[in-house]
Amino acid sequence: MTMRLVAAELVDSRQILPGQWLQSFHAPELATGSRAGQFVHVRTGDYSGLVLRRPFSINTADPATGIITLHFRTVGRGTEWLTRVREGERLDMLGPLGRPFEVDPRSRHLLLIAGGLGMAGVRMLADEALRDGRQVTILFGALSAGHVYPSSLLPDEVEYVVATDDGSLGHHGLVTELVPDYEAWADQAFACGPHPMLARLAQLATGRRERLGVAKLGRKRGAGRADPLGSPAARRKAFLQVSMEQTMGCAVGACLGCTVIGVEGPLRVCREGPVFAAEEIAWPAL
Amino acid sequence: MTPKKAKSPKQVLIRFGDMRVGKNSDRSKRTPTVRKIKSAIVPVDRFKVPAGGRPRVETGGAAVANLGAPNVVTPTLAERAALDRIDLTVDIAPERGLLLTNPILVASGTFGYGVEYGEVVDVQRIGAICCKGTTLKPRAGNPPPRVTETPGGMLNSIGLQNPGVDAVIDKYGPIWRGWKVPVIVNVAGESIDDYVEVARRLDGVPGVAGIELNISCPNVGKGGLQFAIDRDAARAVTAAVRRATDLPLLVKLSPNVADVRPIAKAIEEAGADAICAINTLSGLAVSPDRTRALLGNTYGGLSGPAIKPVALRIVYEVAQVVSIPIVAIGGVTSLDDVLDFLACGAVAVQVGTAIFADPELPVRLGDELRAECLRRGLASYKPLIGTALPKRTGAPSAKGAEYRP
Repeated sequence: MTMRLVAAELVDSRQILPGQWLQSFHAPELATGSRAGQFVHVRTGDYSGLVLRRPFSINTADPATGIITLHFRTVGRGTEWLTRVREGERLDMLGPLGRPFEVDPRSRHLLLIAGGLGMAGVRMLADEALRDGRQVTILFGALSAGHVYPSSLLPDEVEYVVATDDGSLGHHGLVTELVPDYEAWADQAFACGPHPMLARLAQLATGRRERLGVAKLGRKRGAGRADPLGSPAARRKAFLQVSMEQTMGCAVGACLGCTVIGVEGPLRVCREGPVFAAEEIAWPAL
Repeated sequence: MTPKKAKSPKQVLIRFGDMRVGKNSDRSKRTPTVRKIKSAIVPVDRFKVPAGGRPRVETGGAAVANLGAPNVVTPTLAERAALDRIDLTVDIAPERGLLLTNPILVASGTFGYGVEYGEVVDVQRIGAICCKGTTLKPRAGNPPPRVTETPGGMLNSIGLQNPGVDAVIDKYGPIWRGWKVPVIVNVAGESIDDYVEVARRLDGVPGVAGIELNISCPNVGKGGLQFAIDRDAARAVTAAVRRATDLPLLVKLSPNVADVRPIAKAIEEAGADAICAINTLSGLAVSPDRTRALLGNTYGGLSGPAIKPVALRIVYEVAQVVSIPIVAIGGVTSLDDVLDFLACGAVAVQVGTAIFADPELPVRLGDELRAECLRRGLASYKPLIGTALPKRTGAPSAKGAEYRP
């Protein structure tokens, strides 16, 4: 679906974790037309002080009710303003924007890896994958038990594995340490979270490719002729796709403000992303 | 959009004594919608908001997002005919001809190449598009992060990322050619030869209506001194490009100078058709942990409503020393801003940063300016130009600069 300007009515707003909010908006155009990994650009009310819109991953979208949810943390004046919006008020949203996750039709087992608020980036993919009859495991990392995304907000069919930095819930350590146990099971992995986490996952994915190279998907068709880097076909074949974050200006690709460094040059998070195949990104050496 | 048709709000008014409750304010009828959603999210006691509910801060009007243009009323047929008769056309390069259907342009760097916003904005109704800064060779730009919000504005340091002039001509030339809206190519370079070569390649390309020189670039040959802050360099680069092309030539002033008037005068003498004022103000932001500058390139250019007074001052000063048209840029977010710049002597304005929040603003400002002319009984917006300038004839006054903090 092409992007459009939508007046989205806030119907529910709740603080699900300390400083983290889940808001539901009635926006049928966005709920029916968006795919997992895409985002909306939300205009804040007080233009004189806040001149930029705020980008948020679409957390869930339910075409039946026309409801989309956004999950965010209050990090500044824009998100604080958002928490004060009252039910019934309408927000100006531009969306859906960006390119979605590309799931290979043959993938049966999807591994979703989220760090903290990164859950918002992959949450919708769990719904889509379950709808398509795939199995989903979510590996989630947080600071402590008090920051763990509530399992009740996830579909029942999902296997949910938690790691906390202080060991107060689940695995004691980083979420990336859980990945080796699942990488043989997983056909594809999708991640969203802090940059170091994504960089470590990309490193793990490279190692996996070297060990299990024979299992590379899409080998049969046109062997030797690779799809161009960044194309949907190439992303579908990638083992690891990551959803990246960057401060954003226009969110439509005009201002070139939200770039990340890719192996072939700068990439716009809003247009080429926010989802990238891990191979497209020039990761810093760990 | 109501989940259950049977429970949709009744169309009748309910009278409770003296209180009338309209269908939209009847909260009880809204309950099914709300219930449906709450069950979809599955409430959890553990994560319930503490007793007392979440804080409800009264934010007044600011809490309500301004959607569209509440002030615009659908005009009647007679009014529409009257609106259509109002002349908003302006030639911003009178000697060579660059006729715009209205004086609202979009500023370079905020509208890409005109295609990015195509799905949400009717680009043909914009006065003109200044495209992203274009250089001779492709440029990868600065390291991220490249933008950040500041009070009433934003800082950017994109670093002139662009595919190079040849790629721009190949990719967008054919698109621009079919457009009614003129496209002005913003040109940047590191030496006079760079500027001249880019201008030469743009000359005669169908779909390119003019050139806007971004002279706020370091002149590599002269130790990195910006063209825009040196009167002689500004004159030299303008004159060189003038010799290389017959395209309408606009030159964009930098505000980061002590006195902009000699530079503006030099640019006029060197043969520019119009002056654009202003480029961004040099600024800095600090990273949240305060260990370094926030932006990848350390410095950024400040834009947005915060710089409007600076832009007004410079337009006001330049208008008194040059006779070529001035295109104002700097923090335009509303019709009032447009009228302010016109009053200070600009013949047209560019909308920049405000597009990010409100992509439809440039088109709407054209409509609002038309409506404003009708309201004031003007056949053209031209009488609005220069009304705030000092009322005197003869030699240009130096009064504008008497107060220098």
